[in-house]
Amino acid sequence: MSAALAGENFAAVSIEHLTHRWASRTGRGTTALSDISFEFPAGKVTAIVGPSGCGKSTLLLILRGLMKASDGDVQFLYGPERRPGPPPRMSTVWQAFNLLPWRTVLDNVAFGLELAGVGRAEREEKAAAAIRSVELAGFENHYPAQLSGGMRQRVGLARGLVMSPEILFLDEPFGALDAQTKLYLQEQMSAVVESSGKTIILVTHSIEEAIFLGDQVLVMTARPGRVAATIPVDLPRPRSFEMQSSPRSGELFNEIYGLLRDEVRKAMMS
Amino acid sequence: MAQTSSQATINDTGDVDSPPKIPRFKDETWWYGPAAMLVFLLGWELGVSFSGIPELFLPRPSVVLRTLAEQFASKGLLYDMVLTLTRIFGGFLLASVVGIGIGILMGTSRRIYAIADIFVATLYPVPKISLIPLLVIWLGSGELFLVVLCALGCVFPVLVNTIYGVRQVDEGLVLAARDLGATPMQIQRKIVLPAAVPSIFAGLRIALGIGIIMVVAAEMQTARYGLGAKLFAAGQILETGEVFAILLLLAAIGLTLTKIQQRLDNIVSRWRTR
Repeated sequence: MSAALAGENFAAVSIEHLTHRWASRTGRGTTALSDISFEFPAGKVTAIVGPSGCGKSTLLLILRGLMKASDGDVQFLYGPERRPGPPPRMSTVWQAFNLLPWRTVLDNVAFGLELAGVGRAEREEKAAAAIRSVELAGFENHYPAQLSGGMRQRVGLARGLVMSPEILFLDEPFGALDAQTKLYLQEQMSAVVESSGKTIILVTHSIEEAIFLGDQVLVMTARPGRVAATIPVDLPRPRSFEMQSSPRSGELFNEIYGLLRDEVRKAMMS
Repeated sequence: MAQTSSQATINDTGDVDSPPKIPRFKDETWWYGPAAMLVFLLGWELGVSFSGIPELFLPRPSVVLRTLAEQFASKGLLYDMVLTLTRIFGGFLLASVVGIGIGILMGTSRRIYAIADIFVATLYPVPKISLIPLLVIWLGSGELFLVVLCALGCVFPVLVNTIYGVRQVDEGLVLAARDLGATPMQIQRKIVLPAAVPSIFAGLRIALGIGIIMVVAAEMQTARYGLGAKLFAAGQILETGEVFAILLLLAAIGLTLTKIQQRLDNIVSRWRTR
């Protein structure tokens, strides 16, 4: 629907022959990511799943530009002709929330705008709007320590969204939350995802979450991480949580888990 | 407390105006301490009166209080007190600026740390009182000497706590700030420094206590005016009441400063989990 149209304004992310090695004391180092080539399409949600230690969070940091890969480039492609261009606005939502504990909710959400030199009145207005959009109106003057985990992550989401990113990175955003809170936030997130048409890159260890939120699922191998497969998720949008128990979801789950199972075993043995 | 209230509001979010006020813990034992002190003083007063211990040896609390009032009224004790406090705060402030500044540099730069650490490790264990003779040779026995000595005593706790505070900054916060576009300078100012504040304050608290010790001890050795000098002189001429009066004043100063610091601590770290 409209997401596909809107997608043309947003950036696709392309990586070619991306490799990352961690230096180690012995000098040999470990290869975290090995020769990955992939394109994250504009305006779509790509979920990355893989066994723990496969380097999916490292990949996210590299894509976001917070870490430099040993080899290979990250390119941003614009428009239908996919012309390379400068990095777009990007922001990240973190598993550990990473809110500044000495700042109120309002000041946390306004932090990115403050860093960019936006004046107080304007940034507080924008932050307040973002806080309303994640249903936290009334909590502007609370400190993170006074909020539950689910509320903290909504602050994290508002802090990312207020930067109006063209690419939104989600690094296991629900990993630290309890099961019910997770379900509730996944639904909220899927509403955000569907209305925004942004390019979204989601790292998760939950196959259900990848299917529920993703337009496609990138399955990675055990370390060194490579692309095992790309599974398109052909569930209709808007998505509701009932879809998680639909037959099609089950088939997709089985397909992805089938790919992952051997990799998970390898990860455990190594 | 905060936990329960946030649980309750997680699903209906719209009608909360201000953060929940944390109710002050009502402690019905608050008067035990003052009452015990009163009983102690009363025992002291009566014990001295009835046992015949000479005032020269142990004056009664009432005498000590009267002496203290007299000292303020006619013996210029206020001047000595202001002088001592000025020396303490002069040294303390100097040490705070230097300690926090160098601490941030040492905490953030591995190179600077590698160079400076050996000097810190060498100087830290030296009893600063033992520097009195050397400092007197270099600086004389005036105000500069007392302020520098006080600063030397105060600077290490501030420095060490600042380094520690800066180093234990949550890497996730730095990553989040970089994600939101922070420059290295902004990361220092808006992440590293605020995150280190509780640890820096702990250092300042220790430092002020040491500062009082340094100044009073040095005054007893070298100064003509100041509480330490007054105390020493009173002891020399067996004015036991005056000795007690000044000790009482020093205790009161220490107590007041501690309370002020606790208040500041609570204000600065009101965001912490309670």
